[in-house]
Amino acid sequence: MTGVKLVNHMEERSNLNRALRNRNVQMGGVIIMILIAVAIFAPLLAPYDPAKIALGKRLSAPSVAFLFGTDEFGRDIFSRVVFGARLTLYVGIVAVGIGFISGVAIGISAGYFGGWLRSLLMRSVDYLYTFPDILIALGLVAFLGPSLTNVMIAVGFSVIPYYARVTYSVVLVERNKPYFEASEIVGASHWRLILRHLLPNIVPPLIVVVSLGFSAAVLSAAALSFLGLGAQPPDAEWGRMLADGRNYITRSPWILIFPGLAIVITVLGFNILGDGIRDVLDPRQRKEGQ
Amino acid sequence: MTNYIIRRLVIAFITLMLSVIGVGLLIHIVPGDPVMVMLGKNGGSATPEQIENMRRVLGLDKPVWLQTLNYVKGVLSGDMGQSMFTDQPVGKTLFNVLPATLALAFSAMVVAVGVGLPLGFFAAYKHNTWVDNILMLVAVLGVSIPQFWLGLILLLFFSLTLGWLPVAGDDYRSLILPAITLGVTFSAIVARMTRSSMIEVFSEDFMRTARAKGLTETIVLRRHALKPSLIAVITIVGVVFGYLMGGAVVVENVFSWNGIGRLALEAVLRRDYPMIQGFILIFASVIVIVSILMDLTYAWLDPRITYD
Repeated sequence: MTGVKLVNHMEERSNLNRALRNRNVQMGGVIIMILIAVAIFAPLLAPYDPAKIALGKRLSAPSVAFLFGTDEFGRDIFSRVVFGARLTLYVGIVAVGIGFISGVAIGISAGYFGGWLRSLLMRSVDYLYTFPDILIALGLVAFLGPSLTNVMIAVGFSVIPYYARVTYSVVLVERNKPYFEASEIVGASHWRLILRHLLPNIVPPLIVVVSLGFSAAVLSAAALSFLGLGAQPPDAEWGRMLADGRNYITRSPWILIFPGLAIVITVLGFNILGDGIRDVLDPRQRKEGQ
Repeated sequence: MTNYIIRRLVIAFITLMLSVIGVGLLIHIVPGDPVMVMLGKNGGSATPEQIENMRRVLGLDKPVWLQTLNYVKGVLSGDMGQSMFTDQPVGKTLFNVLPATLALAFSAMVVAVGVGLPLGFFAAYKHNTWVDNILMLVAVLGVSIPQFWLGLILLLFFSLTLGWLPVAGDDYRSLILPAITLGVTFSAIVARMTRSSMIEVFSEDFMRTARAKGLTETIVLRRHALKPSLIAVITIVGVVFGYLMGGAVVVENVFSWNGIGRLALEAVLRRDYPMIQGFILIFASVIVIVSILMDLTYAWLDPRITYD
């Protein structure tokens, strides 16, 4: 057992080292850290209250006083973009959290217990997998009603199939390995087998899904907010800001530029990070790349 | 092959039936009374008789299993109920605008494959060179751009500023910008998928053999690499099509394109449940049908695939 553990630890460490040396991981990581910093220090970074209306200053062009200009209510777009980082991360974390926890639970139950439970769970997952997540999310919001909370729930639900499928395939591989059968024979409990043996093996491949899934969740949530189904005024949410400002874009294009760029940079960060981690974890790519 | 087709059709039928039943049940997952939700707080200004009437029209006065059964029976005989707001039959309303959405999805697909396939092919051919790196950087940027944002930027530039294309409308000129918006984001996905499947093709033994035989590079690419790449494209088209339908909801609303996506959003905002059930069902049917067609084309293109 100790031998196996040692090898595992060494492998983990070399994976981590390789990850940190990967250019994509570095680039994506830096973008995401900046984003997190902006979200945490939003009140310090934003020069104005993001919801403060100043009708006298409406639709002002970018200047020293208003870095990104002002919107149709004279609100400072820079401050709103900065506070928007909070909402975006919040939405992403909740949606990915829902997808991750439910998906892992479904994948483990199906892969570990098998039988009719597997058929029921994986058939449902495969069925949901046929449909694009944004449509599933839209369908759910349609019945739950428009609000940011419901968008988070709906987007989280719509990504469950990704996590469930990856978890399920890892569990199938692990539970047929000798060490797993050995622990089973020695009489380890279900909980011990799941928590000690399955979960640690599921996490690395899921990191890729989480990172790429985060960007997908942010995009879906922003799109739903843009359509008016998510964040409601005066929330400083990037998608919503674009929707509210769309009638003024000819006169004041900055209303369109900055919130959109914020979404692109955020999504790009998570996509690059996910690609990088996948390169590190996927042995086939490793052989080709080096 | 015939067996396979029959099996696929049976599975597709079951999938669609499950969708119909699922959609029929959807109205019951609404927290609270759906009629009250539809009418607004405390039933709005509706009289108790009107509320009762609405409940009867929706069939909500009957037990859940009977409602679902009735819905399934209705759908099978072509009746998907009627809109709560316009009183028009849901099926007719949606089928009227379905061609517009399909036109958008197909033209976007042409853009996505037309741009994405050559780029992905080229990136794979130049695997691990700076060309490959730059193309993939562009592709990852492409998948990171929200469609609604790209749409608004194109609208601002080509319609509002340059005046080359109409802001909205129903003719082919108004289709150009939405198709490009939807197509460009998916061309990045197509490029990434084409690249990874072509990297595999390029490392196959038959490619090395072809080159060892002394064939020119053009012939190697045309005769040996093109067909496997076509198969890859069919797979990709199948996967991407569903997502194009999803993207259409967003893009139609940016460009006021008169398709199902616009009706869908309107229905969601007004909480017009029969319409919502209708569009979910139509989207599900289109996606299921396209995925069967793709599998069949796939088998037809690749003789190694037999489905028995």
